[in-house]
Amino acid sequence: MTGEDPSSSPDRFALADWQRLSPWAVGLMLVTASLSLVRQHLPLLLGAGAGLALVERVGWREVGGGAALLLLLGLLLSLLYFRRFRFRLDGDVLVIQKGLFEHREFKVAARHVQHIAVHQPLYLRPFDVVQWQVETLAGEASRIELPGIRRGLADALGKTLQGANSTDVMSAKPDREPEGLAQPTPGVRYALTPRGLVLHGLTSRSIYVIAAMLSPLVQPLERWLHDRLPHLDLLAWLPDSPLVAVGLGIAVVLLALATLSVLAAWWRFHGYVLRDEGERQVQVSGLFHRQEQVLSLSRLQVVEWVQTGLGRVLGRGYLVCHQFGALGGAAAESRRFLVPGVTLAEGEALIERLWPGTGKLPPLNRVSRVYRRVLWLRTLLGLGAGVAILVWLAGPMLLPPWAWGLVAACLAGLAAGAAQLRWQALGWAQQGETLHVRRGLWGQRTSVFPLSHVISLRLCESWLQRRRGVATLQLQVANGQLTLPFLEEPLARALADRLLASVESVTENSPEPGRQTAYAARR
Amino acid sequence: MEFHNQVIDPEALPTLASVPLVSVSPRLAPCQAILQWMRWLLVTAVVLHFPVRDEALALWQPWVAAATGGVGLIAIALGWVEARRRAYGLREHDLIYRRGLLVRRTQVLPLVRLQHVETLSNPVERAFGLVRLACFTAGGRGADLVLEGLPAQRAEAVKQHLLARLGGVPPEPLRAEEAP
Repeated sequence: MTGEDPSSSPDRFALADWQRLSPWAVGLMLVTASLSLVRQHLPLLLGAGAGLALVERVGWREVGGGAALLLLLGLLLSLLYFRRFRFRLDGDVLVIQKGLFEHREFKVAARHVQHIAVHQPLYLRPFDVVQWQVETLAGEASRIELPGIRRGLADALGKTLQGANSTDVMSAKPDREPEGLAQPTPGVRYALTPRGLVLHGLTSRSIYVIAAMLSPLVQPLERWLHDRLPHLDLLAWLPDSPLVAVGLGIAVVLLALATLSVLAAWWRFHGYVLRDEGERQVQVSGLFHRQEQVLSLSRLQVVEWVQTGLGRVLGRGYLVCHQFGALGGAAAESRRFLVPGVTLAEGEALIERLWPGTGKLPPLNRVSRVYRRVLWLRTLLGLGAGVAILVWLAGPMLLPPWAWGLVAACLAGLAAGAAQLRWQALGWAQQGETLHVRRGLWGQRTSVFPLSHVISLRLCESWLQRRRGVATLQLQVANGQLTLPFLEEPLARALADRLLASVESVTENSPEPGRQTAYAARR
Repeated sequence: MEFHNQVIDPEALPTLASVPLVSVSPRLAPCQAILQWMRWLLVTAVVLHFPVRDEALALWQPWVAAATGGVGLIAIALGWVEARRRAYGLREHDLIYRRGLLVRRTQVLPLVRLQHVETLSNPVERAFGLVRLACFTAGGRGADLVLEGLPAQRAEAVKQHLLARLGGVPPEPLRAEEAP
């Protein structure tokens, strides 16, 4: 919030007339579509070698001609799309009309806006044109994009829509906001240092994603090296000792992946700044492709403190702020409002800022010991099945009975160790009106959310659990399901009742301003 | 602005355990049995007629199909018992649905989270006069709670009650013949 009344802004009156995309949007749409096409089909063309085979069969000139024809067709379609695309503000409602073959009209009311993102690729910076995206409470599926509008127009649109939205929310919840949030204090809340950026690159999940992306290219690269550069006697370069050679190979691969991961983090989060504008939290980042995301605090549902295994060793993690419809798993995480490269203390301070009184992560409770026994049995069964398959594949093994006993004891010990670690990794705590749930063995994710942000809950009891007096509580929150397995049954029921009372007593925090629900004792 | 943080007495909270639930229609059990029988018949037919080239294995094919059919019969029997035990409850502020035989699941959907409601029925359900009530919340990709086995008239009454709550109308007890 900037403090001015968005309803009287001059931009608002300008936006009341029909607006068009910037002419540069045509080029942007072409480039974006081409990049997307190449990205989607790159593994298929390069990985399987089908692309090269096709080019060799058809001929370079014909392929070039086809590509030029496609480009021309794309240009014509983009021009037609540009002509049909127009938008305007009708009061607090954004109206968009578009469609190539089918004319469509979208209307987004300001009170339903949850998230606004602005992207500016490098090639659009000289023209001061951005891509503008808006999401409603329905989540990512509801995303609507204005592909190429002037920067000033995007700012005016964002401020008008979110200004109107926050005005609605503030007027709907006069008693809930603590004083600290009532008065906006614009300023930089967090800035990512180069050291933090490098550590985030090393400790984020990008390293695994890059490894998975590059793995299909290994075989073609090996074949290409073998065919094109036969004079390079690669085997002669390797050390004599096989162990040293394998160790060196692993080290080189890890170093390459770590470097790529740091470069990816640099690309995405260079110059990361989180600005606090009271109700609006704004983050800007990106080396070539600048991104600006605006998070409305009244729409924030769950904050996740995420640490990968390496992140726990290096003492770094990142925060993910989830709103409604934040499904799609970890793969979609990069699209979310993410605060990278923070230490635990910084993370706690930021969560404290988002929800006063909830920042400090409390000591967590463990679930029932019965769960540890169940985990032990499950792991033991899994290991036993694995060994049985190995024995079946390897053929009959003439081991003495004591050796089989030793194998069984080792498996039981391994399973016990794994079960203990997994049991310890799972934890939860209720701290006032906030719930903390941690999960993950090597990498860990701790979800922090007010009790009233639970969407629905489920209490599950298997026949074994009923005999042991335990129950599993499944909580549906904005980013998916959180499971608290094997809680003592009275505790699970008490927690469920407490959560329901919090959700149902909500009046002002309702996701739909205007819906008022009063809580009354039902007994 | 004044910030409230009232103390809540856990003993005074309404409890899930004390809610009297109402069984769904007894017609759900045969309806589910027919639907499951159709699925298992298809699976058994596929197993029986799957082209197996190895003659030794082909000799076993009828027995495997029979075993599949046997498993299907057990699943249908368990499904019948499970359908008879399903129950639901409508409170002032939430909707409760309990299902499951070996694993008993009690789902609670606070009405403040409800976004829209749908009624669905396939031809078999229509033959039994049953309707499914699907409840959706914000941001979900599918229905968050699907209430199966409601007679059409009662499903409509529950739907109207939920829609009235969506529109912000204060809760009103259902009439005796509509009460779940």
